[in-house]
This record gives sequence, C-alpha cells and structure tokens, in this order.
Amino acid sequence: MTNNYDIVIAGAGPAGLAAAVEAARRGARTLVVDENTKPGGQLFKQIHKFFGSHEHKAGVRGFAIGEKLLAEAAELGVEVWLNSVVWGLFANKVAVVRGGEQITLAAKKIILATGASENAVAFPGAALPGVMGAGAIQTMINVHRVLPGKRVVMLGSGNVGLIVAYQLLQAGAEVVALVEAASAIGGYGVHAAKIRRAGVPILVGTTIARAFGRGQVEGVVLAKLDESFQPVPGGETTLAIDTVGIAVGLTPLTELAWMAGCQFVFSPRLGGHVPLHDADMETTLSGVYVAGDITGVEEASTAMEEGRLAGIAAAAALGYGAAAAEADKAAVRSRMDVLRSGPFGLGRRTAKAEILAQRKEAASCRE
Amino acid sequence: MNKQTFDIAVIGGGVIGTAVAYYAAKAGRSVVLLEKDHIAAGTSGACDGFIIMQSKNPGPHLELAMESAALYRDLVAELDYDIEYQPKGGMIIIENDTQAALMQSHVAKQAASGLKVDILPIDEARRRELALAPDLWGATYCAADAQVNPVRLAQGFSRAARRHGADLRPGTAVTGLIADRGRVCGVTTAAGDIYCQYVVAAAGIWTPGLVRPLGLDLPIKPRRGQILVTEPLPPTIRHVLLCACYLVAKYRPQDLDPIERHNRLGVGLAVEQTADGGLLIGSTREFAGFDRATTLAGLEAVAAHARRLLPALASVNIIRSFAGLRPYTPDGLPVIGPAADIPGLIIAAGHEGDGIALSPVTGRRIADLLK
Ligand SMILES: Cc1cc2nc3c(=O)[nH]c(=O)nc-3n(C[C@H](O)[C@H](O)[C@H](O)COP(=O)(O)OP(=O)(O)OC[C@H]3O[C@@H](n4cnc5c(N)ncnc54)[C@H](O)[C@@H]3O)c2cc1C
Ligand SMILES: Cc1cc2nc3c(=O)[nH]c(=O)nc-3n(C[C@H](O)[C@H](O)[C@H](O)COP(=O)(O)OP(=O)(O)OC[C@H]3O[C@@H](n4cnc5c(N)ncnc54)[C@H](O)[C@@H]3O)c2cc1C
Repeated sequence: MTNNYDIVIAGAGPAGLAAAVEAARRGARTLVVDENTKPGGQLFKQIHKFFGSHEHKAGVRGFAIGEKLLAEAAELGVEVWLNSVVWGLFANKVAVVRGGEQITLAAKKIILATGASENAVAFPGAALPGVMGAGAIQTMINVHRVLPGKRVVMLGSGNVGLIVAYQLLQAGAEVVALVEAASAIGGYGVHAAKIRRAGVPILVGTTIARAFGRGQVEGVVLAKLDESFQPVPGGETTLAIDTVGIAVGLTPLTELAWMAGCQFVFSPRLGGHVPLHDADMETTLSGVYVAGDITGVEEASTAMEEGRLAGIAAAAALGYGAAAAEADKAAVRSRMDVLRSGPFGLGRRTAKAEILAQRKEAASCRE
Repeated sequence: MNKQTFDIAVIGGGVIGTAVAYYAAKAGRSVVLLEKDHIAAGTSGACDGFIIMQSKNPGPHLELAMESAALYRDLVAELDYDIEYQPKGGMIIIENDTQAALMQSHVAKQAASGLKVDILPIDEARRRELALAPDLWGATYCAADAQVNPVRLAQGFSRAARRHGADLRPGTAVTGLIADRGRVCGVTTAAGDIYCQYVVAAAGIWTPGLVRPLGLDLPIKPRRGQILVTEPLPPTIRHVLLCACYLVAKYRPQDLDPIERHNRLGVGLAVEQTADGGLLIGSTREFAGFDRATTLAGLEAVAAHARRLLPALASVNIIRSFAGLRPYTPDGLPVIGPAADIPGLIIAAGHEGDGIALSPVTGRRIADLLK
C-alpha cells in the first residue's frame, strides 16, 4: 500500500467530511485523518435540532447529519483514519501518528478542517475539578452518557452555553443559573426561551468571581457587573453547586496552518487569528486549503459548505471534475450567502468578505 | 528632524547586542540599541541555553568562555531580573571506544587550560543522570557548566541597560550605515538618521548584509538547528547534556560518514530541562540559507538520536518544534572587535552555537574597547 493521496484532509468534522465527499465524488483519491475514535467532529454530540434555514437541515439533529455524511463518504470510497493525529505539515508531506506509529503521507493537495477549541476563563478556583468546558460536558452527556454533576452553573449565553444547559436539563441535571457578563443574551432567542421555560434563571451582567471547594468545586460566588464590566460592590451571591460549565467562545485550531507557513489575519469576529484564504478556500500557500471553524468560528452548516467548496476546488485543481467546477462552486457560494444573512449572519459575512479582500491584497504584494 | 547623537549605536537586540548595550551603558556611555523586530526576535529567541565550557576548543575559545562563566556569576545579582541561571553542571555522553579516545584527548587539553573535567564510566554516569541508556560507554562531567534562559537573558540585559540610561528602540530597522570620509559615524533608519562615535554591528546572521556596502566581507552564514520541545515534566534531566558526536558535528563535520542521514543533518544531542519543566531536545547543524522552517527529516533524526541515548524520552509528549539559525564562522570563533580599515565600526557577531555562553564576555570586551 502506498501513502500517496491526491487529497489529504485533516479533521473529520462536518467540514472535512463534506470536502472528502465532494473530492471523492469527482474521482480524487482522498484520505481523511481524525484524532478521535469516531468521525463527525462536533456533530455527534449535537442531539438538538439544528438552527438555520430549512435548506440547511434546520430541524435535523446534528448526529443525523453526521451519519448521512459518513454514509456518503463510505459509499464514495473515502478512506478515514481514526485515532490518528496530523502533527506536522512539511511542504507536500503530511506527518501523522497512527496507533503510536509515525507515518508520512504524500499529498498533492491538503485541506485543513481541524475545527476550533474552547476558550478558557481565569478566576480563582477555575482549576478545581468540576469546572469544565461546555464541549466537554456535551461529550460526556451525549456521547459517553455520563452526567458530570447534579447542580450546574453555566457561564456564557452564546448558543453553545444555551444548548448545553438545555441538554443538561434533559440529561437530568439541575441548571442552577446561566450567567452572562454582557448585558444581553448572546445566542438565539429560541434556545434561550427553552431553558427559561424550564425555569433556569439567565443572569445577564453577571460573572463568576470565584469558585471554591475542597478537592472539587462546591460552590461559586457570582458578581454583578456594571457597564464597564467592573464588579458592583455588594453585588455578590453564593451558590452551592458541583459543576461549572464554561461556554465563552471558541478559537480556531490553526497550529497546522501556522506551521505550514500560511499568512494569517486577526479577526476578533471570527474568533482570533485565522488563515487568509481565497474564494476557493485556498490559503496563501498553493495547494493548502482550509474549511470550517479553522477559518473562523461559525456553524456546522457553513462548515459543510466551506468543506464542499474546498473539496470541489482541490479536486478541480488536479483535473477532477474541472469542467463543471465553476458552476458547482457558484452554487455552494450562493447557499453560503444565504446562511450568512440575517442579524446573526451579517457580521460573519462582513468579516469573511474582509478575509477575501485581504487575501487578494496579499496575492498582489507577492507579484 | 532633529539630530540624534549618541556615543554608541548598537545594531541588534539579541543576547550579543543587549549585552554590549548593558556593559557600555553601565560604563557610562550614551547608548542607543536598534532592533528591527523585538528583543530576542532572532537566533537568541530560538536556541538552547547552555553555558557550557566543555564543548569549547581549548585555546582562545575556551578562555573566552571561562571569562564569561565568571561574569555570569555576578550578572545574576547585577541584572536584578530572573534569567533562570542554573549552575547544574554538564555532561557529554560517550557512546563507544572511538568517542572515548577523542574525549580523553579533549579532556587532557582542557585540563591544561585550567578546566576540570572528569570522565565517568557508564555506571557512575547513570548514577548522576538516571535517564542515560545503560549500553553507553559513559560520559564526561564538568561542574562549571550551567544553563540560562536566553530570552530572559536578553530581556535582563536590555532592562538593565535601560536602567543605566540606554535608549532601546525595538521595531527600528537599520537601513544603512553613514560614513564620513571613510569613518562610520551613524546609521539610517526609517525614523531618521542617528549619529554616534561608534556603531556596533551585533546583528547575528544579518551582520554581513549590513556591512557589505562598506566593502567588508564577513564570512558569517546561517547554520540551522532544529529543536523539539516537550510538555512540562517533573525533574527528569539533571544536567545540560551533549553527546560526543555533537562536538564532531560542530567542529569536524568532514569526519562524519555522509551516507547516514543523521550525519548529513549534523545531528548532535543537546538536551536541557528548562525552569518550567519542558525539555529542549536538539539539534541539527545544516546550511539551509535563511530558512527557519523545521523539516520532517531533521525532527525525526533528532528524536531518534535522543531516544537512543536517553530511552526514557521515548514516551514523553512533544508539544512543538522550532528552528534557529546559528551565526556560523569557518574557524568556529566569533568576530569581535574593530573592523579593519573601517574606523568607527565594531563587529560583535558570528558566535555560532556559543552566543549565549559568550554574550557577557563579548559585551564586556566591547565596552572596554570603547572606553
Ligand atoms: C454545543 C455546540 C452546539 C452547536 N450547535 C450547532 C447548530 O445547532 N448548528 C450549527 O450549524 N452549528 C452548531 N455548532 C457549531 C458546529 O458544531 C461547528 O461549527 C462545526 O462542527 C465546525 O465543523 P468543523 O468540521 O470545522 O470542525 P469540528 O466539527 O470541530 O471537526 C474538526 C475535527 O478535526 C479533528 N482534528 C483537529 N485537529 C486535528 C489533527 N491535528 N489531527 C487529526 N484530527 C484533528 C477534531 O478532533 C475534530 O474531530 C455547535 C457547536 C457546539 C460546540
Ligand atoms: C538550535 C540552536 C541552539 C543553540 N544553543 C546554544 C546554547 O546552548 N548555548 C549557546 O551559548 N549558544 C547557543 N546557540 C547559539 C546562540 O543562540 C547564538 O550564538 C546567539 O543567539 C547569537 O546572538 P546574536 O545576538 O548575535 O544574534 P541574534 O539573536 O540573531 O540577534 C541579532 C538581532 O539583530 C536584529 N537585526 C538584524 N538586522 C537588523 C537591522 N538591519 N536593524 C536592526 N536590527 C537588526 C535581528 O532582528 C536580531 O534580533 C544556539 C543556536 C541555535 C540555532
């Protein structure tokens, strides 16, 4: 067996799988590498019905979308390596550790679809057992079926905080409060309404001042904040709890792109430093593409569309499906525009347009 | 723009430039330090921190190093900044009889120069450094070897220089040298011209490019070294460690069998445990131009060699890797002193893999020269 592939994709989340499906459909020899025991990235934790437009599977649950993608990939002969970490990119070589063994792959095109990692916050007691990321809670309850605690405080009212709070309720935990430092709820109204109806207080303008406990978190002290996020004197409340969920945003997992030498830009709206890419998702390095949360934290729906775009473009660059490629890409792009419309999508759409513009500038500098 | 005048303009904010700035400012000279990027942005921020005497060639090289080692002991207090100086002693690992013979003659010459080095058989070496493989020949041991954090060292020098009145200007690239009737008297930058009595070119691998327009051809070129960084570990490696083939790769690469990839890449072991617990595992010696990328072949060769000499490292997690560019010179000695035929220009560059160890003595000697 040779380790030569047309396209190697790092990450088997929605972006990576969608890219693989499009590339393989067009005839490219495609391999997807993922560090987990199961493919699907974040999707398999998502037992809730998806938001977004109907065309984009709103109303369908995340894991169902994942199963469909996997079935398609299997049918098209996409190879998927699990328990395998991509640890380095060197020119057109991809270095992978699989089952403890170092393997070097030669790839004509590389697609990075590594997703994002959860942000942490620092407060006294944040390192106590029982304080954990919302994503970790979601994996425990929805994948491993283990309840991390009985009385939970969730920090952060973005969609992740809201959804995971709801899933904790479904799993039988008590969510004592959902705490948000800003003066308004960050996520979608539908998700907020669901947990409110279940009686969970959403405390805006509030943060966790500290957590305490012996060997394990036993309580938190909440502090009221003023408009400049400073604690209001006398605004402290103590809650007895055993788990703290942290849902304060995600940061793109960009190490491989840094290592490869891609040019980056700082975009607070997209979660931090993100690699510059063009309308085909190709970075400033020829043959290295990006898709999904690595390009800026968004949603599974946009991640899949970006994956499709990268898959079509990378395959076409190798001569697979080249004739129809422009039309295929245009169709994906117009669906993506729909996803990035509306009050929540607009900010991302503007940020994304800036990335494309800066990519053009970078290209003209090099000439 | 108003005219800016100093006694000394130092180009480069690595360990060498900051050391020069520190000793010169301390001696009462007015100093400006110009650094195109930030302090320790160059090789001094991408290297190990060995202050190792044993690896130096007996002769002027070792003399400089021993003078530097003495200065280090004072610096710890003088700089008033934690440079993570650790006088932990060093070992050079010996694999076989051939290497043992080489090291025995090296050690004899060192003794003649006043450096005490012991040769330990493997059992004794392993008693002192548990991680060594049992099938090795042994190791040398020298109590005078120490370790420092190079980035903190450059920071420490530059902060102390500022306390003594030096003007530090990170983000300021020198674009040219100003000469008046053959004498260098200043530098040009995007933020204006700066005039001075002396320019000290301490720009590491970039020094030749700076002085070439004046007709000076310095034989300094980048020699890449790749390093693996592990997760923080409990105390695992007690000394600064080199291997005997490190010395051969450094001084006599022509003696190595070029068929072996290991040798082609100039791999010699250099392992230290930093103050925060991570191990730095190096490294290669390659001429790859100004390319600071790591390569798969380089990292694999470094890891394989380290695993052979220190089998316990096989199970530790590597969290990242980096490469730095040593300012190599053909004779292995740095270029320190006034440029011949160009008054006003002082060179302090070309320290190859010894710039951290030699920075105090370089700074001190240049400052003495400009008194
Ligand atoms: C709680 C929660 C709820 C959400 N709800 C919705 C929703 O309702 N609708 C919606 O559209 N979106 C939702 N999202 C967002 C959506 O899950 C993400 O935007 C999407 O999963 C991003 O896809 P991706 O393929 O870029 O990354 P991921 O799904 O994160 O997949 C990346 C994969 O790459 C792997 N990987 C990373 N680095 C390496 C490496 N070096 N080697 C090998 N493998 C690697 C990772 O382990 C992971 O499996 C939600 C997210 C969360 C956390
Ligand atoms: C892998 C590796 C391991 C090493 N290990 C050791 C060790 O254990 N012990 C030891 O003693 N030595 C070691 N060294 C060697 C040591 O790192 C170098 O000798 C030393 O850092 C050189 O310092 P420098 O100040 O001359 O150069 P640099 O640190 O490169 O500083 C030069 C500075 O000049 C600046 N500059 C360049 N051009 C301009 C311009 N036009 N205008 C303004 N500024 C400019 C650069 O930005 C840079 O910051 C190692 C080196 C490597 C690569």
